[in-house]
Amino acid sequence: MTQLDFTPAGSAAYTPGPSTTNLADILERVLDKGIVIAGDIKIDLLDIELLTIRLRLFVSSVETAKRAGIDWWETDPALSSRAAESALAQENRELRERVAALEEGAGDDDGGETGEGS
Amino acid sequence: MPGLPRTTPGRSADQPCSDVASALWVFAVCHAGAFAELPSGAGHPEGGPVTLLRLDDLLSAVVQDVPSSRFSEEVLKQRLADPGELESCARTHHRTVTAAAEHGPVVPLPLATLFNGEARARAALCARLPHFHAALTRVRGREEWAVKVSLRQTGTASAPSAPQDAPGGQAGAGRAYLTRVRGRERERVARHEQAVAAAARVHRAASALAVESVQRRPHSPQITGKDRLQLMNAAYLVDRGRALDLATVLQRAGADAASADVEVEVSGPWVPYSFTEPVEAPDDSPERAGSRT
Repeated sequence: MTQLDFTPAGSAAYTPGPSTTNLADILERVLDKGIVIAGDIKIDLLDIELLTIRLRLFVSSVETAKRAGIDWWETDPALSSRAAESALAQENRELRERVAALEEGAGDDDGGETGEGS
Repeated sequence: MPGLPRTTPGRSADQPCSDVASALWVFAVCHAGAFAELPSGAGHPEGGPVTLLRLDDLLSAVVQDVPSSRFSEEVLKQRLADPGELESCARTHHRTVTAAAEHGPVVPLPLATLFNGEARARAALCARLPHFHAALTRVRGREEWAVKVSLRQTGTASAPSAPQDAPGGQAGAGRAYLTRVRGRERERVARHEQAVAAAARVHRAASALAVESVQRRPHSPQITGKDRLQLMNAAYLVDRGRALDLATVLQRAGADAASADVEVEVSGPWVPYSFTEPVEAPDDSPERAGSRT
């Protein structure tokens, strides 16, 4: 299903902001974009971005995140198809190991899981 | 006091020292005289009215006096470490920027751009006047639309349960299990590729109408929920009159993609946050973030 959450009924008049303003959308805009001016009160943007990471929001730019030594996106399946493939490969490997372990265990003690035993 | 020049009772405007009782929060830069004062409700609840601070003949900053007790370096660090406080600060900033944008084009400044008084603010902002002029020209009469494309995840995301009920220790059960797993993985990769292609179609359709576009990193499943995988998180700068065209085009692109569990989500209009960075960016990067000392 396709979801279009704005009403085209709105005319040429400027509608102040989208009706559905989720926090992640706002944060990635107010933290990371625009012309940055050095303020007198130093709230380091990087600090704030790290906070948002604590909030589990992906808002920092790749560039800033790299500077902070953060590179989770390279292994996050949500962020690159290459990572998605390697995640699949890893899952496959883990499953193989698990199956092998199960088969081995089953051979040793004849069934492993004893809960269903008569 | 609408219509009057900006006054700040109890404080010398040009006081540069650091122990002033109030700080100046700058929300945005806009055309001089765009408005006198935003309605109450704009700005931080602890602060004074949101007014304009003149920068040059053409530009003003959208500013608010805020008490140091709530906006000093130490206090703010603590406040912004609290998810609830961060959210309310971010929403206030956004609401105020958006309210100012009702009076004409604005260049939003990042959250927590704070100065120890008008003189300091004016000095810092005036150093970037050419950027502000260029950015205002770039966004005038335009608005930002956010378009996200997600793949709805079906229930197969979790690993299938191990065949614990397999009688005896036959290797065959294990192989059949592996075959099932591989089949599901192939299916998942195929669905993913279809959805990526759909996202590319949506982007082409939107780009055809937009003046500019920006690709942001997709939101993680922690935000979108485990049931969808966000593939595209884009913003488009669109002439104000073309929003309906954009809606139509995206609706069509979304409908084409619907069969593959692809979801197209549009939100807007946003103040063009994503399109006000200096175009000749590399020279400016040291001033961003980390080096704000």
